[in-house]
Amino acid sequence: MNIKESRWLPPLPFFFGSPVLLWQLFFFYLPLLLLTLSSILTFSPLGNFEGLTLDRLLLFLQPVYAKVILSSLLLALSNALICFFIGYPIAYFLAFKAKKMKPLFLFFLIVPFWINFLLHVYAWFFVLEKEGFLNWLLLSLGIMDQPIPFLNSLFAILLMMVYYYLPFMILPLYSSLEQFNIQLIEASQDLGAKGWQTLLYILLPLSKGGIMAGFFLVFIPSFGEFAIPELMGGDKWLFVGNVVSQYILSETEGALGAAFTLVSALALLLAALLLYKGLNFLLKPKGEHA
Amino acid sequence: MRSIRLEKVKKSYRGTLVIPGVDLYIPAGKFFALLGPSGCGKTTLLRLIAGLDQVDGGKIFGGDDDITERPINQRAVNVVFQYYALFPHLTVFDNVAYSLRLAKQPKVLIEQKVVRLLEAFHIDKHLYKLPAELSGGQQQRVALARAIINEPDVLLLDEPLAALDFKLREKMLLELIDLQDKMKTTFVYVTHDQFEALTVADQMAIMNSKGEIEQCGTPKEIYEFPHSSFVAKFVGTTNLFDGKLKDLESEEPHIDIPDLGKFKIYIPQKKEWMREGCDVMMSLRPEKILITKKRAKNFSNKLKGNVVSIVYHGRSTQYNVLLSNQMRLQVFEQNEEHFPQEVIDYDNEVYLYWQKENVVLLQR
Repeated sequence: MNIKESRWLPPLPFFFGSPVLLWQLFFFYLPLLLLTLSSILTFSPLGNFEGLTLDRLLLFLQPVYAKVILSSLLLALSNALICFFIGYPIAYFLAFKAKKMKPLFLFFLIVPFWINFLLHVYAWFFVLEKEGFLNWLLLSLGIMDQPIPFLNSLFAILLMMVYYYLPFMILPLYSSLEQFNIQLIEASQDLGAKGWQTLLYILLPLSKGGIMAGFFLVFIPSFGEFAIPELMGGDKWLFVGNVVSQYILSETEGALGAAFTLVSALALLLAALLLYKGLNFLLKPKGEHA
Repeated sequence: MRSIRLEKVKKSYRGTLVIPGVDLYIPAGKFFALLGPSGCGKTTLLRLIAGLDQVDGGKIFGGDDDITERPINQRAVNVVFQYYALFPHLTVFDNVAYSLRLAKQPKVLIEQKVVRLLEAFHIDKHLYKLPAELSGGQQQRVALARAIINEPDVLLLDEPLAALDFKLREKMLLELIDLQDKMKTTFVYVTHDQFEALTVADQMAIMNSKGEIEQCGTPKEIYEFPHSSFVAKFVGTTNLFDGKLKDLESEEPHIDIPDLGKFKIYIPQKKEWMREGCDVMMSLRPEKILITKKRAKNFSNKLKGNVVSIVYHGRSTQYNVLLSNQMRLQVFEQNEEHFPQEVIDYDNEVYLYWQKENVVLLQR
């Protein structure tokens, strides 16, 4: 019916797409341009244009800053990897084993999003602090005889990151596994494959779309994450997000913030490309003639 | 090539008993068909043999070995799935080579085996295509090749031709028979289609809707000498008459059918349940009846009726005849001639003749 009717409609004119284009123009390309400009233009203290400079960009190629970018990449990658290794079994369970309980489990997965982020963080404070639940548990079970300072550690940062980003990994994995034909697993077993072989040769390559989506949904925002390191890590660790926020929030260093953002965005782009290639390589079908 | 023996095999799904305790013997090297209506549990039985599911009770033997507890990837049993279950991300070659690679066979040997088999199956032109690029029939062949390349003891086929059109199905059936002949592997063919089962099987078993095996035997035994009304009705078409057994001990036993009369029957072997005057059911196949407007000689039994409808099938014509007890009898006549001497039309009064040897008596 719809197809028949649409035959009589002229092709949609170009301007129908303009809202999207405008949106992109004003909220993406224009800010990007401003960001680039403010990182390479210099002005006198009175606001007069003085000329172009690459000094700010080059400043951030120094090892101190490269280290910040690199540690952000490492944090994002570890977060994505941990989320994947925890999330894949969960998504597998949801897709194949949960059966009637599926809506309930999906509900539990989504429910944390209804609660303010800061509340999550404070809840974890109570768990991780010196007199907190985790230490109480460890002490009363006799596993430890001294409370461990969990807070303000890399462990706390990563824990909170994984906790927060896990659903972003699980949901795309779940949706790709849900469409998976379970008979393929049976066929693989029938042909003599052990469990890990079926996982490696059949299940993982065929859920590549979900894995890719999950990795990028976690990896990219984790890279710029600044609230979690700030709140869970004290001020001991510097990541890209923290450096940018410091610069941007200061009155005078906005241009440096812009430059750093640009440099780190380029680094992220490069890293994402490498990640894409890497995942593609790891998940390509294992066959001579694939 | 191995036999499969099931001993009191039981299986339930979520509290429902699907297989109530089945004993079945599938002889080695034979083409065996398991025929039953949709949802009768025949696929479940196949899954139990394959090891895709575990039994709740009973034992499964492969040859003399108890394979009940053996995991699926260690059973020399392979399955051709109903919708093929080809790996969509692997090429035809890699699909077929899958089990050989898992078995760590040398590369050269794998290449040789796969190419040779695919040549025999006429799909060697499509070695490096993905399954989605093949037609239904080609996918079917790839699934078959993938399942037999590792030379299993037993090949299980789960309604393998269900997705193909009629012509192609007929052709594939003949190819399957050929293949089984050459391989001598035990084939177990699960289907709800009696035509397919009768065509391929050396031996077959009929399963009823309760998951019980009603009868085992050659296709001819099953068709000509069904043990139960279920088998008689499920395999082929038949006319069933309810009556009472009379003159059992005499030279000329009869069946007395209310409102229709007495008919001569032949009892080759007296069954335990047969008693003088007991309730009995008579099965009379439509093609065993002669339909004519004239009188015929030398038949043991005769009936009169009116033709109420005629269905032309091509190779045969089906007449539905209304009898005096308001029962409708089906009769098949071969269309042997372009211009038959006798034309039977709607509403014609006809005589129906059959020989007493051509009926089967069933317990009621």
